[in-house]
Amino acid sequence: MDLNYSPEDIEFRDKTRRWLEANVPTQELATLEERKAWHRKLYEAGYVGTLWPREFGGWGASPMQQAIVQDEMARVSAPPPINGLGIGFIGPTIIVHGTDWQKQRYLKKMLTAEEIWCQLYSEPNAGSDLASLRTRAEDQGDHFLVNGQKIWTSSGPISDWGILLARTDPKVAKHKGIACFLLNMRQPGVDVRPLRQITGSSLFSEVFMTNARAEKRDLIGGLTQGWEIAQTTLGWERGANSLGRVTRYAIAFTQLVRAAKELKRGGRPLFDDPVVRAKLGRIYADLEVQRYAGLRVLSALLKSDSPGAASSITKLSYTEFEKRYYELALEILGHRGQLISAREEFEEVDTSSGEPGTWATAFLWSRAGTIYSGSSEIQKNIIGERVLGLPKEVRADRLKA
Amino acid sequence: MDFSFSPDQQLLKNSARAFLDEHMKPAAVRLLWDDPRGDSDTLWKEMAQLGWLGLSLPEAYGGSALGMVEAAILLDELGRAACPGPYWPTVLAATAIERAGSDAQKKRWLSAVATGDARATIALLDADLDWNPEAMTTRAEKSGSGFTLSGTKQFVPWAHVANVLLVPAKTTDGLTLFLVDPAAAGLTLEPAPVMDLATRLTIVKLDRVAVPADGVLGGPGQAGPLLAELLRRGAVGAAAEMLGAARRCLDMAVEYAKVREQFGQPIGSFQAIRHKCADMLLEVENSHSAVYYAAWALDAKAEDAALAASVAKAYVGDAARKVCGEAIQIHGGIGFTWEYDLHLYFKRAKALEPLYGDGDYHRELIVRAVAG
Repeated sequence: MDLNYSPEDIEFRDKTRRWLEANVPTQELATLEERKAWHRKLYEAGYVGTLWPREFGGWGASPMQQAIVQDEMARVSAPPPINGLGIGFIGPTIIVHGTDWQKQRYLKKMLTAEEIWCQLYSEPNAGSDLASLRTRAEDQGDHFLVNGQKIWTSSGPISDWGILLARTDPKVAKHKGIACFLLNMRQPGVDVRPLRQITGSSLFSEVFMTNARAEKRDLIGGLTQGWEIAQTTLGWERGANSLGRVTRYAIAFTQLVRAAKELKRGGRPLFDDPVVRAKLGRIYADLEVQRYAGLRVLSALLKSDSPGAASSITKLSYTEFEKRYYELALEILGHRGQLISAREEFEEVDTSSGEPGTWATAFLWSRAGTIYSGSSEIQKNIIGERVLGLPKEVRADRLKA
Repeated sequence: MDFSFSPDQQLLKNSARAFLDEHMKPAAVRLLWDDPRGDSDTLWKEMAQLGWLGLSLPEAYGGSALGMVEAAILLDELGRAACPGPYWPTVLAATAIERAGSDAQKKRWLSAVATGDARATIALLDADLDWNPEAMTTRAEKSGSGFTLSGTKQFVPWAHVANVLLVPAKTTDGLTLFLVDPAAAGLTLEPAPVMDLATRLTIVKLDRVAVPADGVLGGPGQAGPLLAELLRRGAVGAAAEMLGAARRCLDMAVEYAKVREQFGQPIGSFQAIRHKCADMLLEVENSHSAVYYAAWALDAKAEDAALAASVAKAYVGDAARKVCGEAIQIHGGIGFTWEYDLHLYFKRAKALEPLYGDGDYHRELIVRAVAG
């Protein structure tokens, strides 16, 4: 065991910190063009596509350095780059499963955010049971005709391309008749309708595909390999944000302490109340454990030990923690925690995804993590079956298959 | 950045597991539960031969000068076995003597600990249930060249088998540590009837107990920082033992869920049970991260070492209680019986929860450290 950062990592952190302090935008990025410009600046400095191989335009750095970038960005509340899904997992999917043509055509423009990507997986009736998806892709000879509806699509309105799971063979078992495509979002058959979330903002959309066209050259893998591809590439991004996320939690904790020192009850600061102190201590212990666990994941990644199904533990751990965290914070803050625009500086808090807001938005956003990318219940099923080796449950769809 | 054990550390873990699997089966634990003294001379000598008792001691005294990570690895396995005996109190006391003792004190005790000829313990909890050493009411009055100690020390682990007690008391100079002979006049030991018979606790009453001048460990008034460090090390060690007990309970629950059938299926196929097991694994893995991070931080003298020790104790105390409790729930009625072994580990974890500072105490330390 040696939990010291290597001299190279320390140097890399110093360099990253200096660069960010000199370059981080001082004004809020108002337009998509400004965000793209910031993204490109980050990319050119080596802070986007950090983990990608150099041959595909990336920087070939280690998972630790990637985590350090995220951590330093969180430290100065830098606006996140765009195209997170593209760079985090769609690009890696193309790198692992795509054709040479696809790699040439898509990867560089994804890295530079010249083209924005979204994910077209979930459907209104295919959430946790993703494999039951109904969007169809019919072979028309020179292309595929796509019909169906997707939902919970992040960055929908600004996306140029999407990675799509669609059914190519309805007659075989549900996991087997699915293919994976790259779909042009800028075509008449694709209609994107933003969904308003409980935070009030619209990060997600519904996507309707009516006789949309997917080109033959944009099929990834074989006609029946979509499910397999979706399963094997979900693991790429784990660990990248492990330090940055905790730093955001820690910055929020500093804000919470400030609030507890400013706000009074019965003439004395909340901070002097042993009940409040006990809650703060509980939050901080939990927060630190998330950091230690993140370091452990990074250490495994550095040794190329693929975390595999164990990454479900990480996801379950931090998303459930985040709910506990903001619940306790809002218990302490009372009405002050429910303001949706900040009046005092200590009321300003970024969400765990790096979006600026208040305690209320961070609290509301904390409900997302245990649902997206496989709900907590799905993660527990994976942990139970694949890590602990518990017997598979008897399920109606398995009986039929 | 390497969070995994080195080959030597892995070897230590494997050999401890193998030894305890053979010599500390549940039946052996139960024999010691039924024993009035509660620990075994044979086992103690074997631990000495394996190098466990001298693990953290300098080589000059027959030790191997290893760190807190190695101690935690061993304690993790001892917790997994619910192994009864004064291992950790003795090692902690020896650490104190090694840090603060005179040459004569070290000569007298350290080799004896390493060879298995002496047991020791530290009386950290005073008359009231405050782990803050400053709160103690036990006094040491100057008397001739030595001192006389009066007060009460509560729930001292394994004092009834110790050859020497480390007793902190307040002198006019402040907090001072004393090496006290348990057979000294005026000292009474009263066993506390607790539910975990693998962790024997004793109330130590001191009524003008004479301690000679060479029984002062370190200078008078100098014990504060050492006591704080002992509490930190003690806390991390206890957390490691709780982690081991929790992992044992998780393993038993998972095995049981695979074979126990109800409604025509193994109960582990039901999400109600499987999700419990997943939650338990999450707590065990997080506890692993907390324990070994804290142990490493103590060894590396990292600036967050004290914080990490408190984090580990506070977090793992809660986690182990949850995991061991859920293991009983998964077992149902059989888990509630005396005959089934689960309660050995459940009680072991529970007994360690208040030791070396309970969760509330450590959470308060955390808040002081990070927020003032």
